[in-house]
Amino acid sequence: MSSNKYWKGVEELEQTQEFVTSNANEFSEGLPLEKVFANDDSTRANRRDFLKYFGFGLGAVTLAACNKTPVRKAIPYTEKPDNVTPGVPLYYASSSVSNAEGFPVLVKVREGRPIKFEPNKEASYFGGGLDGLGHSAILSLYDTNRLKGAMVAGKRKTVAWADFDKEVVSALSNVSASGKSIAVIKSGNTSLVTNQAITDFGAKYANVEVISYEPISYSGITRANNTAFGSAVIPAYNFQNADVVVSFGADFLGTWISPIKFHSDYSKNRVPKDGKMSKHYQFESLMSLTGANADVRVPMKMSNVGQHLIALYRELGGATAETGMEVAGNNIRQAAAELKAAGSRSLVVCGSNNEEDQLLVNAINVMLGNYGTTIDTTNYYKGQSADEASFNAFVESAEAGKYGAVITIDANPSYSNIEAAAAFAKIPTRISTSITLDETSEAATHIATGLHPLESWDIKEPYKGRFVLSQPTISPVFEGRHSASSLLAWSGVDVSDKDELSYAYAYTKSVFENTVDGDFNKAVENGLVEKISAVSVPSLNVTTGGIISDITSRKKTESELILYQKVGVRDGAYGNTPWAHEMPDPVSKVTWDNYLSVSMPDAKSNGWENGDVMSVSTSTGNIEIPVLIQPGQTKGTYGIALGYGRILPENVTNDLKDLGKNAYPLVNNKEGFADYILNGVTIEKVEGARQYEFGITQTHYSIEGRDIIREASLDAFRQDPKAGQHVHKPKPISLWDDYDYSKGHHWGMAIDLNACTGCSACIVSCSIENNVPIVGREEVRRRREMHWLRIDRYYSFEAPTKQDLNLSIVHGGDQTVEAGENMSKEKVMEAYSVATDSHDYYQNVQVAHQPMMCQHCDNAPCETVCPVLATTHSSEGLNQMTYNRCIGTKYCGNNCPYKVRRFNWFRFNENEKFDYHFSNDLGKMVINPDVTVRSRGVMEKCSFCVQRIQSAKLTAKRDNRKMKADEFTTACAQTCPSNAIVFGDLNDANSEISKLYKNDRSYHVLEELGVKPSVQYLTKIRNKTETTNQIAH
Amino acid sequence: MSSFYSESTFLALIILSVVLAAIAALLFGIKRHLTSMNQEKLGVEDEPSFYASKIKPVIDGWNPTIATLAIAGILLVVLGAFGYKFGMDEVGAQQGYAPTQPINFSHKIHAGQYEIDCKYCHSTVEKSKSASIPSLNTCMNCHKYVKADEKYNGKTSPEIQKIYNAIGFDGDNMEYIKDYKQKPIEWVRIHNLPDLAYFNHSQHVVVGKVECQTCHGPIQEMDKVEQFSTLQMGWCIDCHKERGIDSENNNYYEEVHKNMQAEGKDYITVAENGGLECSKCHY
Repeated sequence: MSSNKYWKGVEELEQTQEFVTSNANEFSEGLPLEKVFANDDSTRANRRDFLKYFGFGLGAVTLAACNKTPVRKAIPYTEKPDNVTPGVPLYYASSSVSNAEGFPVLVKVREGRPIKFEPNKEASYFGGGLDGLGHSAILSLYDTNRLKGAMVAGKRKTVAWADFDKEVVSALSNVSASGKSIAVIKSGNTSLVTNQAITDFGAKYANVEVISYEPISYSGITRANNTAFGSAVIPAYNFQNADVVVSFGADFLGTWISPIKFHSDYSKNRVPKDGKMSKHYQFESLMSLTGANADVRVPMKMSNVGQHLIALYRELGGATAETGMEVAGNNIRQAAAELKAAGSRSLVVCGSNNEEDQLLVNAINVMLGNYGTTIDTTNYYKGQSADEASFNAFVESAEAGKYGAVITIDANPSYSNIEAAAAFAKIPTRISTSITLDETSEAATHIATGLHPLESWDIKEPYKGRFVLSQPTISPVFEGRHSASSLLAWSGVDVSDKDELSYAYAYTKSVFENTVDGDFNKAVENGLVEKISAVSVPSLNVTTGGIISDITSRKKTESELILYQKVGVRDGAYGNTPWAHEMPDPVSKVTWDNYLSVSMPDAKSNGWENGDVMSVSTSTGNIEIPVLIQPGQTKGTYGIALGYGRILPENVTNDLKDLGKNAYPLVNNKEGFADYILNGVTIEKVEGARQYEFGITQTHYSIEGRDIIREASLDAFRQDPKAGQHVHKPKPISLWDDYDYSKGHHWGMAIDLNACTGCSACIVSCSIENNVPIVGREEVRRRREMHWLRIDRYYSFEAPTKQDLNLSIVHGGDQTVEAGENMSKEKVMEAYSVATDSHDYYQNVQVAHQPMMCQHCDNAPCETVCPVLATTHSSEGLNQMTYNRCIGTKYCGNNCPYKVRRFNWFRFNENEKFDYHFSNDLGKMVINPDVTVRSRGVMEKCSFCVQRIQSAKLTAKRDNRKMKADEFTTACAQTCPSNAIVFGDLNDANSEISKLYKNDRSYHVLEELGVKPSVQYLTKIRNKTETTNQIAH
Repeated sequence: MSSFYSESTFLALIILSVVLAAIAALLFGIKRHLTSMNQEKLGVEDEPSFYASKIKPVIDGWNPTIATLAIAGILLVVLGAFGYKFGMDEVGAQQGYAPTQPINFSHKIHAGQYEIDCKYCHSTVEKSKSASIPSLNTCMNCHKYVKADEKYNGKTSPEIQKIYNAIGFDGDNMEYIKDYKQKPIEWVRIHNLPDLAYFNHSQHVVVGKVECQTCHGPIQEMDKVEQFSTLQMGWCIDCHKERGIDSENNNYYEEVHKNMQAEGKDYITVAENGGLECSKCHY
């Protein structure tokens, strides 16, 4: 079944000259040998030069060796806190800081410094995983751009809080006295403490208006639910209860609403058990992470989503004369049939922000009986829920001069809303509680510098009835103040610390007692209190007739622009955390940039190439941005990611300064809601613009089309559990003597390609755990990214359907290809190209993700070639890398069949050119003290988190006991929201890994080489039946 | 002491000795010249010197190329051996390093004379990778009362006063000073391992049951602590090759112990248990 031909990028598939050349070379830039050996005397090295350099080198080395050993200080605590043991980490339950949701996490703290987020495995509802941005966000605590204290406009230094408060209070009192209003703009997050403080503040001042603001709107869902059920909420979706999932442009694994939870729920049904797994249909225009994981992915124009929904509604038995079929096509029938069969164990979701689309989705889910099983409107989602109508009303009133003062709390509207900055300028007193200078606080008159979430107390409620507590894990780095305390200080409350407890603590505790109730200390310890209600099923109170006629009367356009979020950066609020940018996009593999994503047919017909700079014009504005060709994207659709183009402070000098283009100004607010789909877009190549080069990892480390990914259809798997594995297996003769690993520990890893979605959280988790440096866009372009763990994304062509083939016959082709067969690229291209030469077949690609890290081969080829024995094997099966021995010949990297070794080109921790965090004093606080910070000139690679292995072994030895099965795991496995990675001791019969190793689906990558890797992969099974493409018309 | 050996004195001494040496050379030259003049006058035949009669003929007999090579070879071997020894033992090794500390703390008094258990102050040695220098509140457990004032006419010892100044304690009134801005003591670190080597005290003290003195020397006799061991990798390895693991009394080693008995061994060394593998210390 693995006869598919896989390819990583269009360049590889088409074998462009550039790709072939760069792929043949080990490094992206060759050595300047021609220059050296040229006959030109000026550049030729001669005897005298040799002597000069030799002499200088010898002298320099001698001088360097004469360096006196520096005197080091050891500074103990004056009074050591009881619970701190220097050298031993503490874990505090807290909440995640990205996306303002507040998911339960653990914060790993060393000597008072938070150094890593780890998932809170006990919070099972939330999935026990964490995403890349969540990990990356820890750097926002150690951001050199953080403000040092309260600031007043004009002065760029801090002022005393007492003076500041006096000034703010008098300004606010004047506003109240003048009869104007005070607007409080807060993020849509669910901080109960801030909410209470705002209420208290409102009691003190007259005319306080509270406006929720979120950069990304999901109000289509809340408005539809308000119309349909009378409650304006985003429901909780329970993907674990769905046997059939149909998504229309909702990237629920990547960016839609609450992807970390959806990840773990979704993946529970993705691993075939007793021959069963869930089925996932994705209708979408761009190639999203979710689409990449779908069993059936159907290219669709997002502007046609309404037609698709109508078609599905009708197929499911909804009463309407419209069919929508001419647009939707056959796949809808098939999806409808499977949905019907699954009944209430199904789920239909839609990424449109249009109320009518969402109403139709509600009607469909009601027909299927999904409310109460897969959709929960009782214990609904509370994060990111803000209605842009209220903010639009604020903008209008502000323009009319209604407000005398505005206070922004955890919100940055001037960046993500094109009208906000002008509206703010009309308000005389503008107060921000931001912790850095962002687009909104830059223009503020007063900045009441807040605290980072890791420095403060808080209670959040991401889902109704599920309260997540956060506690300070570090004493404030700068002189900030909790935004709630600031509001209360302006309401005349004395917020100074009493009894050595901060005011924020006492206030948070009182809020807890009034709203949550229960044992506060216990709640802080667990980080989570769950008080949920029994699920009630709402009744639909809407007729679909009007909606359907509205949808059918929508204007049809040739082209559409979709503004979407990228998995790494999301809405851009944490755009100053470089790890999120260095993480390659799971699908496009682009780092550090956004781009105009175009389909292959469009690119071919217009003669566009990657990096051409385009001028994109829509009804809302114009933007110039380079092109990236995305296989799988629907013809006539274009995409630009939001969250880029941040205006960052002047002192930022690295890649963070010029990060893509801001697409928020293109969001269409004209229809009364934020519409991210823009119809009728014109795209023109900017003549004379320089070709832009992306920092893209897609084709780096190519592995030459070998049998690396294995997959099979569910049908084939049912008949034969070893499906997909029947490849010719030679019996290699070993060059090495066998070693008996049966004694002691033998560490191994298993990666389930079915569970892995490619979300890339593991990459960031690994980087933080192992002090992997951030290299920046320029170095990624040179193929020098340092990630120890990468995720390879392979495309392959989906077989053409019967329908496609019939079409081709209509066009006069003479077909011999069987439908439903997995085919080689040549066959597919042949089949399609009879029908059309428009490269439309590029819309139908399927995707496989494969995490790849050091395979810790028992017969490691790298070890054989190291001239200085810097890489050796341990008796526990680890391929050890000893940096202090390495002299940087890179032979090992050359000889590694998996291309997982990385050469460290720079001293990143001391080089100011790489000022991401590693090279400044504040950023260095996040370094893991248990792992060496590597210097330049050495090879490095995945160590299986050997520091964790050693630490777990030591704990067992100290406790005088045997090691328990699975008592620890690696950083990647720990953070995986879908449990795709399992690590453990192969010699322990009770460990999960030793059971997985016996799984029929497991295989080693490149096992024919006989290197005996310690990482096993489990065949990807796609839920596709042979009849998939043959449902009758 | 320091004033005597000041730089200017040293320079003056060097100049003086150079001048004296020059005078001496001049005088010897005059003497030789005078002697030869005298002998010439007296007509005495110059007796051939020992060098001219015995050694020179031998050297003249040598092949010049082979001789040069041989001498150069010997020099190279001697210098090389010296350099190797120097590189291995001296470069970066700080054995005997005994810097002056901000407080003249004496282990001889505390650990020797009063026999205070090491772990009382270095309290994390059984839990953590670092034994940790005690925080000042540990000092104050005793020094709130012990002021050694009998030696200083009723005044607090100046060394103990340093603790009080750091933590904010009023020795005369026996109470802590309110809202005092505490200043931590900046000790000079004596044992410096490179960042690339991971060392864990609890591993050695709890699991390996190594005495503090094995690595730190007779600490209870040191007024001023010095680095006792070389702390070089060879030193680590020597110990790992010699010492056995306590497989009998630690359940973690159950399997190891069984295998050992099956092989008829009495004990296995740390090295035999994988204690020389790179990633046990380098990661």
